[in-house]
Amino acid sequence: MLFVLEDMINGILMGAIYGLTALGLTIIFGVLKVINFAHGSLLMVGMYFAYWAVALSGLHPYLTLIVVVPIMFFFGYYLQDIVIKPIFKAEREVREPITVIIVTTGVWYVLDNLTLLIFGPQYRTIQDNPLRGEMLELGQMLISVPKLWGFFAAILTALAVYWFLQKTRMGRAIRATSLDRDAASLMGIKQYKVYNIAFGLGTATAGIAGVTLVPFYNVFPTVGVLFDIKGFIIVVLGGLGSIGGAILGGMIIGIIESVGPQFMAATWTEGIVYGLFLLVLFVKPSGLFGVRYDW
Amino acid sequence: MTKEKLQKISTGLLLVVIFGLPLVLRSPTYLHILILLYLYAYLTTSWNLVGGFAGVLPLGHAAFFGIGAYTSTVLYLQYGISPWLGMVLGGIIASIVGLIIGLPTFKMRGAYFALATIAFGEGMRVMVENIDYLGPFNLNGPRGLQIPPLNVGLTNLMFTNKEPYYYIILIMLIGVLAVTYFVSRSKLGFYLNAGGEEPEAAMSLGVNVARCKLVAMAISTFLTALAGAFYAQLTLFIHPKSVISLDLSFEIAFIALIGGRGSIAGPVLGALLLRPVSDFSRIYFGATLPGLHLIIFGTVLILVMIYQPRGLQEPLTRAYHGILNRLAPVSVKEE
Repeated sequence: MLFVLEDMINGILMGAIYGLTALGLTIIFGVLKVINFAHGSLLMVGMYFAYWAVALSGLHPYLTLIVVVPIMFFFGYYLQDIVIKPIFKAEREVREPITVIIVTTGVWYVLDNLTLLIFGPQYRTIQDNPLRGEMLELGQMLISVPKLWGFFAAILTALAVYWFLQKTRMGRAIRATSLDRDAASLMGIKQYKVYNIAFGLGTATAGIAGVTLVPFYNVFPTVGVLFDIKGFIIVVLGGLGSIGGAILGGMIIGIIESVGPQFMAATWTEGIVYGLFLLVLFVKPSGLFGVRYDW
Repeated sequence: MTKEKLQKISTGLLLVVIFGLPLVLRSPTYLHILILLYLYAYLTTSWNLVGGFAGVLPLGHAAFFGIGAYTSTVLYLQYGISPWLGMVLGGIIASIVGLIIGLPTFKMRGAYFALATIAFGEGMRVMVENIDYLGPFNLNGPRGLQIPPLNVGLTNLMFTNKEPYYYIILIMLIGVLAVTYFVSRSKLGFYLNAGGEEPEAAMSLGVNVARCKLVAMAISTFLTALAGAFYAQLTLFIHPKSVISLDLSFEIAFIALIGGRGSIAGPVLGALLLRPVSDFSRIYFGATLPGLHLIIFGTVLILVMIYQPRGLQEPLTRAYHGILNRLAPVSVKEE
């Protein structure tokens, strides 16, 4: 039984990190009403920034947050401003423009393959990493330390985003735009600026996720794809637009992935995740923790 | 000379050129590139029946391609059934699966539909990768299936040279274009168009939008599976990552979207413009600049969506008609 408990704990920790990778997706969907297919690639970009920051300066991996988060925020801000905004302007009356999905898929392909072109297909890991393979012994259970930190980072980030949206003036503007963008515009909120900031915020959380992943995960050009599909599943499970739902949805996936292999071939767990996802989509598309309103 | 006459002449010339091409072009490499080009044009045109006319974004069509490839290959390897028959059976199975998947998914809104089809396609790949025996059928899991090139001939859809493949896929492409043409001119096509643009309005006029979409899905998946069987016979080796990959699903959708969804010429034009880019950049820059063709794909896709959301076919058809009008200056109809 102890094995199952150990797997459960590790699954919850990894799952919270999955939730963190999906947090940006849910923020962006909540405001812009589009699924950002490039989100995994943004995570990948964040991981590369973190990797190079560590490799070039020799900083502690978590200290790179100071550099990576602002860079990622502005990266997302201008990505939305330059690439995605024109589509919104052209399809103003559509609530969930499908064209934006297609454009973000284009961004995904460009980012992934540009990275491949520049940095090559090698798998990279941080050399002399202070956190590598570090384990916490809890009775007879072993718990990965970098995953534990990732878990805390996920919870803290989710709380911070929640606080920002609830308590600050900008957060209120974002929520207003998310509820009704026309009414919000009439109230004097600059709709596209809010979109830029929401996109930047989502990208910045992908940057945080990237930093927490780098100490124990390989960095390579298509690493985002793994998290991309998982991210879609997580946000739908948790309810699109729900911040707490993203973290909980991530934990469900994490538990399935870590406990599942005790009972079946590990490759089957992926199939179970897809099956569960389709089931939720068919039966309760608003997600397991159904959010009636977007926030 | 009237415009209609010119149009007929140019179409005729085009047909002569594409049918005569293998007589001039002897290189198997180039023929293979052309075969793949037609295959993609075929796939995107089939995709367009759902993705274009029905106004949704299916991103899991590789699953149906895989069903076609696996059905014909398994039947041929285990029971010696001709791939031609296997092709049709695969098409029917794909249609049934398509209907089962379409029934719940067509109720979903834009993004949810795209996500559901992705999950379906990926789930299918995971399943095939994990199953060695599906009942009596040997799928051989992630190792894939290899067809020994022994009984070469038309009945086994297996040839030693590329020319027969070229003509088969060309005829298949013309066939699928004809299907698209008739669908777009039929009641079904108009219903689909109406349902894709304004589902509520169409339903209030008595159009059974859901049923129309299902019919389109059945046709589209059937046709996609035929191409899967053809591909299996062309390469004689299939495995889950090659025939049921997410990349294939995305590439089909990309090409159709860049060319212009919802039009007949769009997907073909997309394949015509993008396949050579991908093949030649892989041949010449594959070692030095990996992934270049996908960067080009992505960039073109973004630019087309921003500046020409109806696809590249729109300016190109306009230019084509412009040239025809120039050549046939005054075509005053005499009553």
